[in-house]
Amino acid sequence: MEITYQISDIHSIAEAVIKHASSRTILFYGEMGVGKTTLIKAIVEHLGSNDLVSSPTFSLVNEYSSPSDTIFHFDFYRIENEEEALNFGVEDYFYSSAWKLVEWPEKIPNLIPDDAEIITILSDENGKRTLKFDQNIKLTKKKPMEQQNFL
Amino acid sequence: MASQNIYILAIESSCDDTAASVMLNGRILSNVVANQKIHEEYGGVVPELASRAHQQNIVPVVQQALKKAGVEKSQLNAIAFTRGPGLMGSLLVGTSFAKSLAYGLNIPLIDVNHMQAHILAHFIDEEDFNKPEFPFLAMTISGGHTQIVKVSNYFDMEVIGETIDDAVGEAYDKSGKILGLGYPAGPEIDKRAQQGNPKAFKFTKPKVDGLNFSFSGLKTAILYFIQKETKANPNFIEENLNDICASIQYTIIGILIDKLKLASKETGIKHIAIGGGVSANSGIRKALKDGEKKFGWTTYIPKFEYTTDNAAMIAIVGHLKFLEGEFSQNNVVASARLKL
Repeated sequence: MEITYQISDIHSIAEAVIKHASSRTILFYGEMGVGKTTLIKAIVEHLGSNDLVSSPTFSLVNEYSSPSDTIFHFDFYRIENEEEALNFGVEDYFYSSAWKLVEWPEKIPNLIPDDAEIITILSDENGKRTLKFDQNIKLTKKKPMEQQNFL
Repeated sequence: MASQNIYILAIESSCDDTAASVMLNGRILSNVVANQKIHEEYGGVVPELASRAHQQNIVPVVQQALKKAGVEKSQLNAIAFTRGPGLMGSLLVGTSFAKSLAYGLNIPLIDVNHMQAHILAHFIDEEDFNKPEFPFLAMTISGGHTQIVKVSNYFDMEVIGETIDDAVGEAYDKSGKILGLGYPAGPEIDKRAQQGNPKAFKFTKPKVDGLNFSFSGLKTAILYFIQKETKANPNFIEENLNDICASIQYTIIGILIDKLKLASKETGIKHIAIGGGVSANSGIRKALKDGEKKFGWTTYIPKFEYTTDNAAMIAIVGHLKFLEGEFSQNNVVASARLKL
């Protein structure tokens, strides 16, 4: 599935993402400035949370709550290796029943839950955005043995 | 007579760094932040299953803070620790350690709000640094925070403006990334800005109501600008780097100062204190000095080591709460989303 939109359509896009999502873990791929945080802001609002959604680039994870749900908003932009993510307990968050909205998932390919929904956002020169669901981005997983090394 | 001297051990583990500090009567005796050297001194990192950095760091950091201060554990009057906000896994390590140590030593435990500590860092006794007069406006600017707080008293604070998307330090780092500069990019942009023309390129300031900030749009504007210019001239960045940095810095500082001016006008408060890592920026320091002349402000900037994440600022809050007799219950827990 593919949708083209302007920033002004963000609320209907957020609604479509929630409706279409087959998992509570959603990965957002896309270049810096393409509007990942902006879309997540709208999604969190549609999930019924009144919390202020800001960039978790420094904090790594922000937590929001709605009357019925907890929402974790991750950003792995500044992570240099996957061990840093393990160190702050990323697995405890990922294997909870909350919503998990993840920016820069490409930084932690080995730690991503297998059932995650994948969304890619692209922009063109006129500021139009294209959102693609379920793109088969090949997560370049390392062999399990290599992963053992930092555990 | 023991109450004449107040020794506080403070522990901070809200994000990346593990830090400990020892304070005597409001003065810092030691202020230690974990780095690899600490591991070397204490026999290297012991690899263990699913170990977390803070768990490895906390014992050596606390030991070093006590040693540097020349203080024995038995002399301590209280243990202060960061309860939140921050990363849950990181906070848990500091919280559990502080609770256990206080219990073991049979002394009071004091929980501290990290954001309150950034503001109260101004009250650490330090030669050549004045303490702000109440009420004052505190602006915390760093990689993770951008907020203006009205401070009526030590423990009476109100957030009156904050970022609705990116923090100011993040705006610097991501602009630097677009320009191909190293991380963190703030200091280099600042350095180059001083040799460039701040009005060479114009970036639109975001329109955000009230005292809130937004830096996300600026990041995108810079990205599109650079993409457009490098298409026409592949050497655009190299040829204009100082001017680009100066223009970015001019825009960012303009955004911060505009909101401070508005906050000062709305509250009638002219005492302004800044903290957070971005307070080291020469442009913001100069803009604050200008504000003293132009708007009659009195401005305060703490010693740099107290502006980034550190345990000294946790210690001063611990000290102030100790004087008030404000201690934690035994069942206190870490809180990732603790508010001011």
